[in-house]
Amino acid sequence: MTSHTGRLYALAGALFAFFVLWAAIAAHPWAPETAASDPRLAALAQRERQLRADAVQVQTIVRRRLAAHRAALAKRRAEIAAARLAASRAPVVSAPQAAAPSVRVVTLPPLVITKTS
Amino acid sequence: MERTAFRAMGTDVELFLDVPPSEDVPDAFAVSRDEFERLESLLSRFRPDSELSALNRSGRLRAGPDLLRVTELALAARQRTDGRFDPTVHDALVAAGYDRSFEEVGAAGRMVATRSAVPCGGSVRVVPRTGEIMLGPGVRLDLGGIGKGYAVDRVCDLLARSGPCLVSAGGDLTVRGGSWPVGVEIHGGTLTLELTSGAIATSGSDRRRWTTAAGEAHHLIDPRTGAPAESDLLRVTAVGRTAVEAEVLAKSLYLAGAERAGVEADDLGIPAVLTLVDGRDVLAGGLS
Repeated sequence: MTSHTGRLYALAGALFAFFVLWAAIAAHPWAPETAASDPRLAALAQRERQLRADAVQVQTIVRRRLAAHRAALAKRRAEIAAARLAASRAPVVSAPQAAAPSVRVVTLPPLVITKTS
Repeated sequence: MERTAFRAMGTDVELFLDVPPSEDVPDAFAVSRDEFERLESLLSRFRPDSELSALNRSGRLRAGPDLLRVTELALAARQRTDGRFDPTVHDALVAAGYDRSFEEVGAAGRMVATRSAVPCGGSVRVVPRTGEIMLGPGVRLDLGGIGKGYAVDRVCDLLARSGPCLVSAGGDLTVRGGSWPVGVEIHGGTLTLELTSGAIATSGSDRRRWTTAAGEAHHLIDPRTGAPAESDLLRVTAVGRTAVEAEVLAKSLYLAGAERAGVEADDLGIPAVLTLVDGRDVLAGGLS
Protein backbone atom coordinates (compact mmCIF):
# COMPACT_ATOMS: atom_id res chain seq x y z
CA MET A 1 0.00 0.00 0.00
CA THR A 2 2.67 2.42 1.02
CA SER A 3 4.78 1.58 -2.00
CA HIS A 4 1.78 2.10 -4.32
CA THR A 5 1.16 5.53 -2.91
CA GLY A 6 4.80 6.36 -3.27
CA ARG A 7 4.84 5.27 -6.90
CA LEU A 8 1.77 7.37 -7.66
CA TYR A 9 3.38 10.47 -6.13
CA ALA A 10 6.52 9.73 -8.04
CA LEU A 11 4.57 9.41 -11.33
CA ALA A 12 2.63 12.64 -10.67
CA GLY A 13 5.87 14.43 -9.85
CA ALA A 14 7.49 13.13 -13.01
CA LEU A 15 4.52 14.29 -15.14
CA PHE A 16 4.60 17.74 -13.54
CA ALA A 17 8.35 18.03 -14.12
CA PHE A 18 7.86 16.92 -17.76
CA PHE A 19 5.27 19.64 -18.50
CA VAL A 20 7.28 22.36 -16.74
CA LEU A 21 10.28 21.44 -18.86
CA TRP A 22 8.11 21.45 -22.02
CA ALA A 23 6.77 24.92 -21.26
CA ALA A 24 10.27 26.20 -20.55
CA ILE A 25 11.58 24.86 -23.87
CA ALA A 26 8.50 26.19 -25.79
CA ALA A 27 9.12 29.71 -24.46
CA HIS A 28 12.48 29.86 -26.30
CA PRO A 29 14.23 31.69 -23.49
CA TRP A 30 17.45 31.56 -25.47
CA ALA A 31 16.02 33.44 -28.54
CA PRO A 32 17.40 37.07 -29.10
CA GLU A 33 15.01 40.07 -28.64
CA THR A 34 15.01 41.24 -32.34
CA ALA A 35 11.62 43.03 -32.54
CA ALA A 36 12.52 46.06 -30.50
CA SER A 37 15.87 46.57 -31.99
CA ASP A 38 15.20 45.76 -35.76
CA PRO A 39 15.91 49.02 -37.74
CA ARG A 40 13.66 47.90 -40.61
CA LEU A 41 10.61 47.71 -38.34
CA ALA A 42 11.49 51.07 -36.84
CA ALA A 43 11.67 52.58 -40.33
CA LEU A 44 8.32 51.07 -41.24
CA ALA A 45 6.73 52.50 -38.11
CA GLN A 46 8.21 55.90 -38.89
CA ARG A 47 6.93 55.67 -42.47
CA GLU A 48 3.45 54.80 -41.23
CA ARG A 49 3.40 57.81 -38.93
CA GLN A 50 4.50 60.05 -41.83
CA LEU A 51 1.79 58.70 -44.13
CA ARG A 52 -0.88 59.23 -41.50
CA ALA A 53 0.23 62.84 -41.05
CA ASP A 54 0.22 63.35 -44.85
CA ALA A 55 -3.30 61.88 -45.09
CA VAL A 56 -4.56 64.35 -42.49
CA GLN A 57 -3.03 67.22 -44.48
CA VAL A 58 -4.51 65.99 -47.76
CA GLN A 59 -7.95 65.64 -46.20
CA THR A 60 -7.75 69.20 -44.90
CA ILE A 61 -6.81 70.51 -48.36
CA VAL A 62 -9.58 68.51 -50.05
CA ARG A 63 -12.17 69.75 -47.55
CA ARG A 64 -11.07 73.36 -48.10
CA ARG A 65 -11.16 73.04 -51.90
CA LEU A 66 -14.57 71.31 -51.84
CA ALA A 67 -15.99 74.11 -49.72
CA ALA A 68 -14.61 76.68 -52.17
CA HIS A 69 -16.00 74.72 -55.13
CA ARG A 70 -19.43 74.47 -53.50
CA ALA A 71 -19.47 78.21 -52.81
CA ALA A 72 -18.52 78.94 -56.44
CA LEU A 73 -21.19 76.52 -57.68
CA ALA A 74 -23.87 78.15 -55.52
CA LYS A 75 -22.81 81.57 -56.80
CA ARG A 76 -22.89 80.37 -60.43
CA ARG A 77 -26.31 78.77 -59.96
CA ALA A 78 -27.63 82.03 -58.49
CA GLU A 79 -26.23 83.91 -61.51
CA ILE A 80 -27.90 81.44 -63.90
CA ALA A 81 -31.24 81.73 -62.06
CA ALA A 82 -31.01 85.53 -62.17
CA ALA A 83 -30.17 85.44 -65.89
CA ARG A 84 -33.12 83.11 -66.56
CA LEU A 85 -35.46 85.39 -64.63
CA ALA A 86 -34.17 88.39 -66.53
CA ALA A 87 -34.63 86.54 -69.83
CA SER A 88 -38.19 85.57 -68.95
CA ARG A 89 -38.94 89.19 -68.07
CA ALA A 90 -37.29 90.53 -71.18
CA PRO A 91 -39.81 92.29 -73.35
CA VAL A 92 -40.97 90.31 -76.34
CA VAL A 93 -42.21 93.49 -77.92
CA SER A 94 -39.78 96.34 -78.11
CA ALA A 95 -38.66 98.40 -80.99
CA PRO A 96 -34.96 97.51 -80.95
CA GLN A 97 -35.55 93.76 -80.66
CA ALA A 98 -38.44 93.19 -83.06
CA ALA A 99 -37.64 93.51 -86.73
CA ALA A 100 -39.71 95.89 -88.81
CA PRO A 101 -42.47 94.01 -90.60
CA SER A 102 -41.96 93.27 -94.26
CA VAL A 103 -45.06 92.48 -96.31
CA ARG A 104 -46.35 92.70 -99.87
CA VAL A 105 -49.32 91.50 -101.85
CA VAL A 106 -48.58 88.45 -104.00
CA THR A 107 -50.55 86.05 -106.17
CA LEU A 108 -49.34 82.86 -104.49
CA PRO A 109 -51.73 80.42 -102.86
CA PRO A 110 -51.70 81.00 -99.09
CA LEU A 111 -50.07 78.55 -96.72
CA VAL A 112 -52.28 79.66 -93.86
CA ILE A 113 -55.25 82.03 -93.54
CA THR A 114 -55.60 84.66 -90.84
CA LYS A 115 -59.15 84.92 -89.53
CA THR A 116 -60.88 87.00 -86.91
CA SER A 117 -59.48 85.93 -83.57
CA MET B 1 -41.90 71.90 -94.53
CA GLU B 2 -42.93 70.44 -91.17
CA ARG B 3 -46.35 71.23 -89.66
CA THR B 4 -48.37 70.42 -86.59
CA ALA B 5 -51.74 71.62 -85.31
CA PHE B 6 -53.58 71.53 -82.00
CA ARG B 7 -56.15 73.44 -79.93
CA ALA B 8 -55.03 75.97 -77.35
CA MET B 9 -56.37 79.23 -75.93
CA GLY B 10 -59.79 78.47 -77.40
CA THR B 11 -58.54 78.48 -80.97
CA ASP B 12 -56.76 76.41 -83.61
CA VAL B 13 -52.98 76.64 -83.43
CA GLU B 14 -50.71 75.78 -86.35
CA LEU B 15 -46.91 75.61 -86.27
CA PHE B 16 -44.77 75.48 -89.42
CA LEU B 17 -41.03 74.84 -89.55
CA ASP B 18 -39.23 75.26 -92.85
CA VAL B 19 -36.65 72.52 -92.24
CA PRO B 20 -36.13 68.98 -93.55
CA PRO B 21 -37.69 66.20 -91.47
CA SER B 22 -35.54 65.25 -88.50
CA GLU B 23 -35.92 63.79 -85.04
CA ASP B 24 -35.51 67.30 -83.54
CA VAL B 25 -38.72 68.62 -85.11
CA PRO B 26 -41.20 66.71 -82.87
CA ASP B 27 -39.24 67.93 -79.83
CA ALA B 28 -39.42 71.54 -81.03
CA PHE B 29 -43.17 71.20 -81.61
CA ALA B 30 -43.65 69.61 -78.18
CA VAL B 31 -41.80 72.45 -76.46
CA SER B 32 -43.93 74.97 -78.36
CA ARG B 33 -47.15 73.23 -77.41
CA ASP B 34 -46.09 73.10 -73.76
CA GLU B 35 -45.40 76.83 -73.84
CA PHE B 36 -48.89 77.55 -75.25
CA GLU B 37 -50.45 75.43 -72.50
CA ARG B 38 -48.30 77.05 -69.81
CA LEU B 39 -49.29 80.55 -70.89
CA GLU B 40 -52.96 79.59 -71.20
CA SER B 41 -52.89 78.23 -67.65
CA LEU B 42 -51.60 81.63 -66.48
CA LEU B 43 -53.56 84.08 -68.62
CA SER B 44 -57.00 82.54 -69.14
CA ARG B 45 -59.95 84.27 -67.45
CA PHE B 46 -61.95 81.05 -67.81
CA ARG B 47 -59.65 79.01 -65.58
CA PRO B 48 -60.33 79.64 -61.89
CA ASP B 49 -56.78 78.58 -60.97
CA SER B 50 -55.02 80.91 -63.42
CA GLU B 51 -52.93 83.82 -62.21
CA LEU B 52 -55.26 86.21 -64.03
CA SER B 53 -58.32 84.79 -62.23
CA ALA B 54 -56.53 85.15 -58.90
CA LEU B 55 -55.76 88.77 -59.74
CA ASN B 56 -59.36 89.46 -60.79
CA ARG B 57 -60.65 87.90 -57.54
CA SER B 58 -58.34 89.68 -55.14
CA GLY B 59 -57.65 92.93 -57.02
CA ARG B 60 -53.99 92.71 -56.04
CA LEU B 61 -51.36 90.11 -56.86
CA ARG B 62 -47.63 89.61 -56.89
CA ALA B 63 -47.63 88.25 -60.41
CA GLY B 64 -45.21 86.06 -62.31
CA PRO B 65 -43.15 87.54 -65.14
CA ASP B 66 -45.59 86.59 -67.90
CA LEU B 67 -48.75 88.07 -66.39
CA LEU B 68 -46.74 91.11 -65.36
CA ARG B 69 -45.37 91.58 -68.88
CA VAL B 70 -48.71 91.10 -70.65
CA THR B 71 -50.36 93.56 -68.26
CA GLU B 72 -47.60 96.09 -68.94
CA LEU B 73 -48.02 95.60 -72.69
CA ALA B 74 -51.79 96.00 -72.40
CA LEU B 75 -51.47 99.21 -70.39
CA ALA B 76 -48.93 100.59 -72.88
CA ALA B 77 -51.38 99.75 -75.68
CA ARG B 78 -54.22 101.46 -73.83
CA GLN B 79 -52.13 104.61 -73.60
CA ARG B 80 -50.88 104.40 -77.19
CA THR B 81 -54.35 103.87 -78.67
CA ASP B 82 -55.94 106.52 -76.49
CA GLY B 83 -58.13 103.92 -74.82
CA ARG B 84 -59.41 102.12 -77.90
CA PHE B 85 -57.56 99.06 -76.70
CA ASP B 86 -58.30 98.46 -73.04
CA PRO B 87 -57.67 95.36 -70.90
CA THR B 88 -60.34 96.40 -68.38
CA VAL B 89 -63.19 95.18 -70.60
CA HIS B 90 -63.67 92.01 -68.52
CA ASP B 91 -66.96 93.01 -66.88
CA ALA B 92 -68.28 94.50 -70.11
CA LEU B 93 -67.64 91.18 -71.88
CA VAL B 94 -69.39 89.30 -69.08
CA ALA B 95 -72.31 91.73 -69.21
CA ALA B 96 -72.55 91.19 -72.97
CA GLY B 97 -72.89 87.46 -72.32
CA TYR B 98 -69.30 86.27 -72.91
CA ASP B 99 -68.99 84.87 -69.39
CA ARG B 100 -67.58 81.44 -70.21
CA SER B 101 -65.47 79.85 -72.93
CA PHE B 102 -66.70 80.57 -76.43
CA GLU B 103 -67.39 76.87 -77.08
CA GLU B 104 -70.20 77.20 -74.50
CA VAL B 105 -71.32 80.76 -75.27
CA GLY B 106 -71.48 80.19 -78.99
CA ALA B 107 -73.23 76.81 -78.80
CA ALA B 108 -75.95 76.62 -81.42
CA GLY B 109 -79.41 77.54 -80.21
CA ARG B 110 -78.18 78.94 -76.91
CA MET B 111 -79.79 82.21 -75.81
CA VAL B 112 -77.29 84.17 -73.73
CA ALA B 113 -78.43 86.38 -70.86
CA THR B 114 -77.03 89.91 -70.88
CA ARG B 115 -76.84 92.87 -68.54
CA SER B 116 -76.50 96.56 -69.23
CA ALA B 117 -73.19 97.89 -70.55
CA VAL B 118 -70.36 98.28 -68.07
CA PRO B 119 -67.95 101.23 -68.19
CA CYS B 120 -64.28 100.48 -68.83
CA GLY B 121 -61.03 102.33 -68.24
CA GLY B 122 -60.56 101.62 -64.53
CA SER B 123 -57.30 101.96 -62.65
CA VAL B 124 -54.56 99.36 -63.10
CA ARG B 125 -51.16 99.83 -61.48
CA VAL B 126 -48.06 97.75 -62.08
CA VAL B 127 -45.02 97.90 -59.81
CA PRO B 128 -42.23 96.26 -61.82
CA ARG B 129 -39.79 96.31 -58.88
CA THR B 130 -42.01 94.10 -56.73
CA GLY B 131 -43.94 92.41 -59.52
CA GLU B 132 -47.22 93.59 -58.05
CA ILE B 133 -50.38 94.38 -60.02
CA MET B 134 -53.09 96.43 -58.33
CA LEU B 135 -56.58 96.88 -59.76
CA GLY B 136 -58.92 99.70 -58.88
CA PRO B 137 -62.24 98.92 -57.12
CA GLY B 138 -64.43 96.73 -59.33
CA VAL B 139 -61.80 96.50 -62.09
CA ARG B 140 -61.08 93.12 -63.71
CA LEU B 141 -58.87 92.33 -66.66
CA ASP B 142 -59.42 90.38 -69.86
CA LEU B 143 -56.16 89.56 -71.63
CA GLY B 144 -57.66 87.20 -74.19
CA GLY B 145 -56.48 88.78 -77.45
CA ILE B 146 -53.22 90.29 -76.27
CA GLY B 147 -52.41 87.16 -74.24
CA LYS B 148 -52.77 85.08 -77.37
CA GLY B 149 -50.52 87.47 -79.28
CA TYR B 150 -47.96 87.27 -76.49
CA ALA B 151 -48.09 83.46 -76.60
CA VAL B 152 -47.62 83.47 -80.39
CA ASP B 153 -44.57 85.72 -80.07
CA ARG B 154 -43.04 83.65 -77.27
CA VAL B 155 -43.59 80.37 -79.06
CA CYS B 156 -42.19 81.82 -82.28
CA ASP B 157 -39.05 82.83 -80.36
CA LEU B 158 -38.72 79.24 -79.14
CA LEU B 159 -39.46 77.61 -82.47
CA ALA B 160 -37.11 79.93 -84.38
CA ARG B 161 -34.16 78.18 -82.70
CA SER B 162 -34.94 75.21 -84.95
CA GLY B 163 -35.25 77.17 -88.20
CA PRO B 164 -37.48 79.54 -90.16
CA CYS B 165 -40.98 79.26 -88.72
CA LEU B 166 -44.55 80.51 -88.63
CA VAL B 167 -46.79 80.32 -85.58
CA SER B 168 -50.51 80.93 -86.02
CA ALA B 169 -53.17 80.97 -83.35
CA GLY B 170 -56.51 81.84 -84.93
CA GLY B 171 -56.07 85.29 -86.35
CA ASP B 172 -52.70 86.05 -84.80
CA LEU B 173 -49.51 84.86 -86.49
CA THR B 174 -45.82 85.66 -86.37
CA VAL B 175 -42.99 84.57 -88.67
CA ARG B 176 -39.23 84.31 -88.22
CA GLY B 177 -37.03 83.82 -91.28
CA GLY B 178 -38.11 82.76 -94.74
CA SER B 179 -41.07 84.16 -96.64
CA TRP B 180 -44.60 83.04 -95.88
CA PRO B 181 -47.75 83.47 -98.00
CA VAL B 182 -50.58 84.35 -95.63
CA GLY B 183 -54.18 84.51 -96.76
CA VAL B 184 -56.50 87.33 -95.69
CA GLU B 185 -60.25 86.87 -96.10
CA ILE B 186 -61.81 89.57 -98.27
CA HIS B 187 -65.17 89.87 -99.97
CA GLY B 188 -65.40 87.16 -102.58
CA GLY B 189 -62.10 85.43 -101.90
CA THR B 190 -58.70 85.51 -100.32
CA LEU B 191 -55.91 88.06 -100.66
CA THR B 192 -52.39 86.69 -100.16
CA LEU B 193 -49.77 88.71 -98.30
CA GLU B 194 -46.17 87.55 -98.37
CA LEU B 195 -44.71 88.13 -94.91
CA THR B 196 -40.93 87.91 -94.50
CA SER B 197 -40.77 89.37 -91.00
CA GLY B 198 -43.22 90.58 -88.41
CA ALA B 199 -46.73 89.52 -87.56
CA ILE B 200 -50.34 89.70 -88.73
CA ALA B 201 -53.53 89.84 -86.70
CA THR B 202 -57.18 90.08 -87.65
CA SER B 203 -59.97 91.53 -85.53
CA GLY B 204 -63.60 91.71 -86.46
CA SER B 205 -67.21 91.06 -85.60
CA ASP B 206 -67.74 88.27 -88.12
CA ARG B 207 -66.76 85.51 -85.71
CA ARG B 208 -67.18 84.90 -81.97
CA ARG B 209 -70.80 85.95 -82.15
CA TRP B 210 -73.65 84.74 -79.99
CA THR B 211 -77.38 85.22 -79.65
CA THR B 212 -79.00 87.34 -76.96
CA ALA B 213 -82.59 88.42 -76.32
CA ALA B 214 -81.71 91.77 -77.92
CA GLY B 215 -80.16 90.21 -81.02
CA GLU B 216 -76.67 89.11 -81.97
CA ALA B 217 -73.65 90.19 -79.97
CA HIS B 218 -69.90 89.88 -80.55
CA HIS B 219 -66.70 89.95 -78.56
CA LEU B 220 -65.20 93.27 -79.64
CA ILE B 221 -66.10 95.63 -76.82
CA ASP B 222 -65.83 99.36 -77.40
CA PRO B 223 -64.29 100.62 -74.14
CA ARG B 224 -65.93 104.00 -74.67
CA THR B 225 -69.44 102.48 -74.44
CA GLY B 226 -68.76 99.24 -72.57
CA ALA B 227 -70.85 97.36 -75.14
CA PRO B 228 -70.08 95.36 -78.31
CA ALA B 229 -68.74 97.85 -80.85
CA GLU B 230 -70.83 99.15 -83.71
CA SER B 231 -68.69 99.73 -86.76
CA ASP B 232 -68.91 100.04 -90.53
CA LEU B 233 -66.03 97.57 -90.63
CA LEU B 234 -66.52 93.83 -90.70
CA ARG B 235 -62.90 93.07 -89.85
CA VAL B 236 -59.42 94.53 -90.00
CA THR B 237 -56.15 92.74 -90.69
CA ALA B 238 -53.07 94.65 -89.54
CA VAL B 239 -49.35 93.98 -89.83
CA GLY B 240 -47.00 94.75 -86.95
CA ARG B 241 -43.55 93.90 -85.66
CA THR B 242 -45.03 91.38 -83.25
CA ALA B 243 -48.32 89.59 -82.82
CA VAL B 244 -49.03 91.71 -79.73
CA GLU B 245 -48.54 94.89 -81.74
CA ALA B 246 -50.56 93.59 -84.71
CA GLU B 247 -53.39 92.51 -82.38
CA VAL B 248 -53.54 95.95 -80.77
CA LEU B 249 -53.40 97.72 -84.13
CA ALA B 250 -56.14 95.54 -85.65
CA LYS B 251 -58.48 96.12 -82.72
CA SER B 252 -57.73 99.83 -82.58
CA LEU B 253 -58.30 100.31 -86.32
CA TYR B 254 -61.54 98.32 -86.15
CA LEU B 255 -62.87 100.57 -83.40
CA ALA B 256 -61.78 103.67 -85.31
CA GLY B 257 -64.22 102.95 -88.14
CA ALA B 258 -63.44 102.63 -91.83
CA GLU B 259 -62.66 106.23 -92.76
CA ARG B 260 -60.47 107.03 -89.78
CA ALA B 261 -58.81 103.60 -89.88
CA GLY B 262 -57.72 104.16 -93.49
CA VAL B 263 -56.28 107.57 -92.67
CA GLU B 264 -54.46 106.30 -89.56
CA ALA B 265 -53.03 103.28 -91.35
CA ASP B 266 -51.72 105.50 -94.17
CA ASP B 267 -50.36 108.19 -91.84
CA LEU B 268 -48.65 105.76 -89.48
CA GLY B 269 -47.52 103.33 -92.20
CA ILE B 270 -49.47 100.39 -90.79
CA PRO B 271 -50.03 97.83 -93.57
CA ALA B 272 -53.70 96.92 -93.21
CA VAL B 273 -56.60 95.30 -95.03
CA LEU B 274 -59.97 96.84 -94.14
CA THR B 275 -63.05 94.79 -94.96
CA LEU B 276 -66.16 96.93 -94.83
CA VAL B 277 -69.68 95.85 -94.05
CA ASP B 278 -70.88 97.39 -97.34
CA GLY B 279 -68.87 94.87 -99.40
CA ARG B 280 -65.76 96.93 -100.13
CA ASP B 281 -62.17 96.01 -99.29
CA VAL B 282 -59.56 98.72 -98.73
CA LEU B 283 -55.79 98.24 -98.70
CA ALA B 284 -53.97 100.82 -96.60
CA GLY B 285 -50.61 101.66 -95.07
CA GLY B 286 -48.55 100.97 -98.17
CA LEU B 287 -50.26 97.78 -99.34
CA SER B 288 -51.33 97.78 -102.96
